[in-house]
Amino acid sequence: MKNNTRQIFSTFAGVLGVACLSLLISCAGHQQSAVDPAGPQSGRIDTLWWSFFWLLGAIFVIVMVLTLMTLGRRHRGFEQEPLEATHKPSEETDSRLRRIIAGATVTTVVILFVLIVASVGTGKANSELQNKKNPLTIQVTGNQWWWQLEYMNSDPTKILVTANEMHIPVGRPVQIRGISNDVIHSFWVPNLNGKRDLIPSHVTTQWMEADHPGVFRGQCAEFCGLQHAHMAIWVIAEPEDKFDAWMRAQLQPAAGPSTPELQRGRQVFMNNACVYCHEIQGTTAAGQNGPDLTHFGSRRGIAANTVPNTAGNLAGWILDPQSLKPGNHMATIALNSTDLQPLVEYLESLK
Amino acid sequence: MTASQDIYPQTPNLAHDVDQLERSWRHPRGIFGWFSYTTHQAIGMRYIITAFIMLLAGGVEALLMRTQLMHANNGFLSADRYNELFTTHGTTMMFLFAVPMMEGMAIYLVPLMCGTRNVAFPRLNAFGYWIFVVGVLFLYWGVFTNAAPDMGWFAYPPLSGPQFTPGKRTDYWAQMITFTEVSALCVASELIVTISKMRAPGMSLNRMPLYVWSILTQSFMVIFAMPAIVLASSYLLSDRTVATHFVNPAEGGDPLLYQHIFWFFGHPEVYIIFIPALGFVSAIVVAHARREIVGYTAMVLSQIANGFIAFGLWVHHMFATDLPQIGAAYFTASSMMIAITSGVQIFCWIATLWSGRPRLTTALHFVYGFIAIFVLGGLSGVVLASIPLDLQVHDTFFVVAHFHYVLIGGAVFPLFGAFYHWFPKMTGRMMNERLGRLNFWVLFIGFNLTFFPMHILGLKGMPRRVYTYSPEMGWDQLNFLATVGAWVIAVGGLLFIANVLWSRKKGAIAGNNPWDADSLEWAAASPPPNYNFEYLPAVTSRYPLWVPGADRTFVTGTRSDRREVLVTTLMDAEPHHRYILPGPSIWPLVAGICVSIGFVGSVFNAWYVTWGAIISGLALIAWFWPKRPLEPADE
Amino acid sequence: MSEVRTLDVSGLKQYEISNQAPLWWGQLMIVFIEGTMFAILIAAYFYTRLRMDVWPPPGDQYPHLLLPSVALIPLVLSCLGTYWAGDSAKKNDRAGMLGGLGLNLVLAGIALAMRIVEWHSLNFNWMTDIQGSYVWAFLGLHTFDYIGDLVFTAVLFVLIAIGRYGPKQRQGVYVDSVVWYFLVAIWIPIYVVIYWGPVIVGTQQ
Repeated sequence: MKNNTRQIFSTFAGVLGVACLSLLISCAGHQQSAVDPAGPQSGRIDTLWWSFFWLLGAIFVIVMVLTLMTLGRRHRGFEQEPLEATHKPSEETDSRLRRIIAGATVTTVVILFVLIVASVGTGKANSELQNKKNPLTIQVTGNQWWWQLEYMNSDPTKILVTANEMHIPVGRPVQIRGISNDVIHSFWVPNLNGKRDLIPSHVTTQWMEADHPGVFRGQCAEFCGLQHAHMAIWVIAEPEDKFDAWMRAQLQPAAGPSTPELQRGRQVFMNNACVYCHEIQGTTAAGQNGPDLTHFGSRRGIAANTVPNTAGNLAGWILDPQSLKPGNHMATIALNSTDLQPLVEYLESLK
Repeated sequence: MTASQDIYPQTPNLAHDVDQLERSWRHPRGIFGWFSYTTHQAIGMRYIITAFIMLLAGGVEALLMRTQLMHANNGFLSADRYNELFTTHGTTMMFLFAVPMMEGMAIYLVPLMCGTRNVAFPRLNAFGYWIFVVGVLFLYWGVFTNAAPDMGWFAYPPLSGPQFTPGKRTDYWAQMITFTEVSALCVASELIVTISKMRAPGMSLNRMPLYVWSILTQSFMVIFAMPAIVLASSYLLSDRTVATHFVNPAEGGDPLLYQHIFWFFGHPEVYIIFIPALGFVSAIVVAHARREIVGYTAMVLSQIANGFIAFGLWVHHMFATDLPQIGAAYFTASSMMIAITSGVQIFCWIATLWSGRPRLTTALHFVYGFIAIFVLGGLSGVVLASIPLDLQVHDTFFVVAHFHYVLIGGAVFPLFGAFYHWFPKMTGRMMNERLGRLNFWVLFIGFNLTFFPMHILGLKGMPRRVYTYSPEMGWDQLNFLATVGAWVIAVGGLLFIANVLWSRKKGAIAGNNPWDADSLEWAAASPPPNYNFEYLPAVTSRYPLWVPGADRTFVTGTRSDRREVLVTTLMDAEPHHRYILPGPSIWPLVAGICVSIGFVGSVFNAWYVTWGAIISGLALIAWFWPKRPLEPADE
Repeated sequence: MSEVRTLDVSGLKQYEISNQAPLWWGQLMIVFIEGTMFAILIAAYFYTRLRMDVWPPPGDQYPHLLLPSVALIPLVLSCLGTYWAGDSAKKNDRAGMLGGLGLNLVLAGIALAMRIVEWHSLNFNWMTDIQGSYVWAFLGLHTFDYIGDLVFTAVLFVLIAIGRYGPKQRQGVYVDSVVWYFLVAIWIPIYVVIYWGPVIVGTQQ
């Protein structure tokens, strides 16, 4: 029995060791992390998380110690009562145990109650954001497998339509108005706030705010089909003036091609099926099925940020979208290299 | 072949009665006979073995998934294949392994523990098994003909609807659900009636073993939860096959309604899996700590409360869908409060172990493993109950970690403990203890290695159901660790199979009661004859076999020349009347085939509902057609 | 072992035709299962109604109220036949069982015929729109159970008529009443939902 107990304690210690090891390993890399908050809401959630972690962790250790102590021969305070004949100890032992259990149960209720209050309180505080003034409203439409973004404005000429990369001003509340064109998706930028599902025939609302500049990654968090794994979004928080400058630039129609190469590129775009799905403001391309490409060159990623936006990646994407993101809805268009090169340059020029 | 004579009355007719029992309960011969068995031990074993094969299938699916996720941008599996695997893994584990396994164990153990000879409706029992098998075959036929479902085990529309998942995959899934829930409803109905009406005289409700209480609670939960998944899967199936609009957003159908109905079933479903496991733990703790349970009344009330409260939690699966805050807060409170009913039981077990004389058998190892893993899983559940926290970790690997901790820790570990505890009863031989302990440690270590890192992955932003991820995310090392752990679990599984195979041939002979345990199944021979007991026992204590032999009571006066049992009253189990059980019959199989033709066919052509109903009706008429003698022989 | 305690039950009956019989409890389980299913379906109907601006959806006529309401009469009265049959089963009264089962079959048959006539007057089916899907789901599921129980009752009637019955079949006659009472009782709220739903919770014309 003693050997067994030692074995059990040492394995318990070993398992704790694995847990610590994995915690240590995990310290590197805070991209898309719920425990690296960059806004007041994710900050409150982060605080709540660590409170839960330490409290519940302590409870776990206590319960495990008590459990393992049942294996020790000497129980503190109890003699080993003779059980062989009756299979039950004395009435005092039993009533003492029942009292202890009752006490533990009451303690559990109290602890849970505290946790409920803390949770509801945090939720309430997080929803206070919607009472702040001057929110920025962005409508996010989930599609298989990309994000359409529309910056709402009472002036219809100032509504910005873009895709897969969201810029927001630091310190200003942002209202995300979520809808979906096809199946259920979920908008999630962990550094800023929890997630909100985008459900067809519903409009869901989420609020977030960045309290310092940064580049934050988000990812679709509701299984939406074949390429659910490749539906990421960049949220870039910038100081107010930088953000305004970005908005102004994005509201401009697409830069006209300034060189013959670029002109050639635009012509390739217009002459092919691209125009059935994509819009480029300032040209006749007005397709609505795919991401708006008016300022594609200014974006960091391609195909909902499956790969970084470089000329090489773009060429590969256009030539064979199915190899990068099998099953996605972009058509494969046969282009030879004399067409492909200028097209890529043109698209990259759309800053 | 009789049980040890020292605890049976040495009546002058014993040899004659036993001989008659042997004849009236004898299995019919041949293949045709094999398909006609209606004894609970046979059908229970069939469920257990089939469900175990499903556990292995689900395990292989998991290993493939883990191998794909081993490092970033891995090309081992395509997106389509991975999506099929995680869907099939979840579906197999939830519908084809967990619930049927718990049912199979209950079918085997409950009549023995209640001191009777069979379940209340033996032919319904057989029918339920055949329906379950067809469900398995139907889904896996889809899997092996490249039509495996791929929309997740909960199949949310519109993704699972006709527009976004064309073809038959989802239809196979939805109809497989029909098979498994019909089977589960049959089993639940018969177990409730068996437990309510066929207990040994003197086994009043407050003398019932805790395992039997857990099955009673669980069976009622099945009765009230399964209809919801009938509806949800039918909504999906009929939208896909006959153009109804239940979950079609274009016509007013609401994807959220599906989620509500699905999770109204889905949350109780996990408790349906977990509550019998708690029953296992109680049985093992009492037997191996060799003392009566502390707080029997608290244990019973907690289990029943668990069953009720489980129906009031479902919205916690939907916190990310923008529900009104006040309503959602109610579900936070209820989801946290259910920790109390589970907690009370944990406290009672710890108290029993503390004040008992624990004997560290392999079965008890699994109980300790259960406590460690399940408590951690329960605590991560408290995290998920908190809405702000859930909104971060919902649909991430944190949730995957949580539910594997509570399901594997809370159900599979007790199940393995139950195997080690009851294997002697079922086969007559003891399992190898050394190999058993090794089995435990490999599973325990492998499990924690696989699933603990997933908590961290979830916090670090890794969503679930992704077939790959990019290297910049920093998720590589933890995923690799988890994959290694998965292979360790596989080794643990193989060790178990090896132990079973070895012990069947070479294990020590067990005798009736190798553990000196308390409940009635240990009074029957190991393995029990088809009739279980030569004389039905009557009980005067909660722990019948811990009553000295001279003080035990037996029932005489039931006929042994036909399959007859005793029906007792609900509360106090007073003898009420005698009940003649049917013998072997081929009609459950025939009816099962007819019903299956209806269900399978209707996936391809809705008219099969009608044809299937007609032939099933005919089969049922044949099943119930009166057989001679019409009047039973009187005493 | 000197003394052995035995409990002799040879004096107990071998057949129980009452609510103590396991089969009666089995029927009760069916009632719970089906009842839960219909309850959820009714709740889902109202959930759906709350999300729609116009109810019933445009184009769906309001179902006629006369025939279904009149059909309630034979439906409820058929329970008398069931009760008579069950009572006779206890007393092993063959004529009574035949009378009761026969009355049940005739009245239930009339109610079913009226229901089928009413179906033909609905101007929507399950594919038309979501209200159609719900109405036909209720009608389909309930009628399926209804016909099933009618067939069961008819078979029992035939068995008793040809004399091929014993205590087990009498037990069947008795416990059948549980499901029949349930089917009639659950029809009331379903009838209200289908036929009065558009009137009570519809958008006013």
